[in-house]
Amino acid sequence: MLKILLKKQMAEVFRSYFYDAKKNKARSKAAVAAYIVLFVVIMLGVMGGMFTLLALSMSAPMAAAGLDWLYFALMGLLAILLGSFGSVFNTYSGLYLAKDNDLLLSMPIPVNAIMGARLLSVYLLGLMYSGVVILPAVIVYWFTVSASLGVIAGSILLLLLISIFVLTLSCALGWVVAKISLKLKNKSFITVVISLAFFAIYYFFCFRAQTIISDFVANAVTYGEKIKGAAYPIYLFGCVALGNGKAMAVVTAVVLALFGVMWLLLGRSFLKIATSSGKTERRMYRETRTQRKSIGAALLGKEFARFLSSPNYMLNCGLGVLLLPISGIVLLIKGRDLMPMLAMAFDNQPGSAAVLLCTAVCVVASMNDMAAPSISLEGKNLWLLQLLPVKPWQALRAKLSVQLLLTSIPALFASACAAIAGGLSAVETLLTLLVPQAVILMMALLNLTVGLKMPNLTWTSEIVPIKQSASVMIGLLGGMIYGILPIAGFLMFGHRMGANAYMACFMAFTLAISAGLYVWLKKKGGAAFAAL
Amino acid sequence: MLKIEHLTKTYGDKKAVDDLSLHILPAEIYGFIGHNGAGKTTTLKSVAGILQFDAGEITIDGNSVRNQPLACKKEIAYIPDNPDLYDYMTGIKFLNFIADIFGISAADRQARIHDYAERFELTADLAQPIASYSHGMKQKLAIIAAWIHQPKLIIMDEPFVGLDPKAAHLLKGMMREVCDEGGAIFFSTHVLEVAEKLCDKVAIIKAGRLIRSGTMEEVKGDDSLEQVFLELEGEAC
Repeated sequence: MLKILLKKQMAEVFRSYFYDAKKNKARSKAAVAAYIVLFVVIMLGVMGGMFTLLALSMSAPMAAAGLDWLYFALMGLLAILLGSFGSVFNTYSGLYLAKDNDLLLSMPIPVNAIMGARLLSVYLLGLMYSGVVILPAVIVYWFTVSASLGVIAGSILLLLLISIFVLTLSCALGWVVAKISLKLKNKSFITVVISLAFFAIYYFFCFRAQTIISDFVANAVTYGEKIKGAAYPIYLFGCVALGNGKAMAVVTAVVLALFGVMWLLLGRSFLKIATSSGKTERRMYRETRTQRKSIGAALLGKEFARFLSSPNYMLNCGLGVLLLPISGIVLLIKGRDLMPMLAMAFDNQPGSAAVLLCTAVCVVASMNDMAAPSISLEGKNLWLLQLLPVKPWQALRAKLSVQLLLTSIPALFASACAAIAGGLSAVETLLTLLVPQAVILMMALLNLTVGLKMPNLTWTSEIVPIKQSASVMIGLLGGMIYGILPIAGFLMFGHRMGANAYMACFMAFTLAISAGLYVWLKKKGGAAFAAL
Repeated sequence: MLKIEHLTKTYGDKKAVDDLSLHILPAEIYGFIGHNGAGKTTTLKSVAGILQFDAGEITIDGNSVRNQPLACKKEIAYIPDNPDLYDYMTGIKFLNFIADIFGISAADRQARIHDYAERFELTADLAQPIASYSHGMKQKLAIIAAWIHQPKLIIMDEPFVGLDPKAAHLLKGMMREVCDEGGAIFFSTHVLEVAEKLCDKVAIIKAGRLIRSGTMEEVKGDDSLEQVFLELEGEAC
């Protein structure tokens, strides 16, 4: 039974890799391989590479100070943080809000088997995210310090224990979210606020990471002694990777016991929460006259309602809405200290500050990708848009407009702040305002195009199109890479023509790509949408 | 009102609808019956313009569904067998969205929503999210949304499934009202007694091919519709 459910769960999670929803048939082996390679490159190349560099900077100095355990404890905690951070809402929606809960619960399937299958996908996600931190840490340690039998056995055990602990933590937090959400009125809003608080803490630590790490390495002995004395479990946790028998036994027992408690807790509450419809207050309808809207406004309103109804959608695809103005304010406050440093870093290259500020706005703006999953999110409702007397392009334009409006306006604010903080000239200011707008237009068009080319309309949990679809991955990664291009191109060849001329050329190039995407969407996109 | 000529739709190797032709005149309630997988939903979706067909032509009031889709869609309403509506909207927001798309004035929509919601006893629930609606409530909301722009042709796929007896009775009355005002209804059903009492004409489809159509008297003669249907399906009565 569990095997069948696991197969179903895995087929759903990785469906887009093997199945082309548009052509309604399995992908070719080459396409499957290409998707998998792309995924591996992102996970190992980008994220894994980042943590490999971090591990390289810490492993040898800490081992030399006899603080190998602290190295593993730190990297382990980082892995737990990253692994559980992205999985809380995934656990909640995957476990309690899956659309096939009613179907599966009505069949003679043990509740534990349904839970087990659901948890496996959470486990795999947690393993993947924690793995990109702890795996490089372990391998770097093996190559730079020691690869004795004890260390190999201990570090593999640590990797497994971390993945189980991440699952436990994600489930515990997911359970709390489920419990709270049953009693909340404005669920979406409160969920987003709580999540953003998590984000704020997370980014605070990320922002301070370099300082914290340097401080840790410099004062490792002092901190090591303090942690050993005051937080002995962390010491034991770090010692697991070194093959310490006592630590391995104790930490394994604790992690498994915690997992057992979580399993019992979930087992008792799963049925109740998964079948509950909530206890929100009933709102009575009061008849009022509503103003008539144009078709465009009605479609735009529908798209905004969709975006605002889902915490998953807002958090995964709209973080830039908040981060753009925050970045602008940070630049206004810290800009004066930052600018001389940046000028020095670029060898006082004239105009480099403007290019860099443009790049910063573009990169933060690329965190918005709400157009990428918007077609997939129509799911079973797609018939409505196809039935109503609206041109396919009108429906697509509404999806595009949400991303443009939610990104362009905050980006204008961020660009203006950047221009003030950077003390830019009038021409530089104009380009700093316009270049990110051109990039934002291109990103929105790109997101919509990939969303249209790679739709998944048969999901059972909205987290699949929002977080696990190829269109989102390509849109997000493509946007980020393109966002970095302004400074990359400037450093490679743009500086020869001068910053302003370079930025103008870059903007023209971006607008040309946008025009190409726009023409495709308008001419062929409408037909593709109608044929879905 | 509706002309379907030589409609053909294939899924892979399977012909879901094979050279089907039907004419529906104004003021007619046209029933469409057939076993599961016979091609009813495919035909209805093709008429509604939400499924692209391989061959043939469908015209509504002289406009081609393929070449003038917007003109056709303005004249029709479609209710699927399973009304998947926007769960994230409230009932009233959904109705206002539909009214906006069809350009219904504020006064007209208010009057129509009031009238139909009262008839279906849905008024009190209009401020609730659609996600909290039962299947029957969603079906009622889909019916109100279909009727809100006063379409000339209403296409329905199993419209009585999920409706309580009172709402089903009300819907039958509303279908007749549409026809009395010169409109037409084209709907599929498995409830042959309903089809027999309600329809002016009926078509029977089997394996994608039309096997009989015409007025109720022409199709069933002195037998019951059920007997005729089962005989045509090759079942022993």
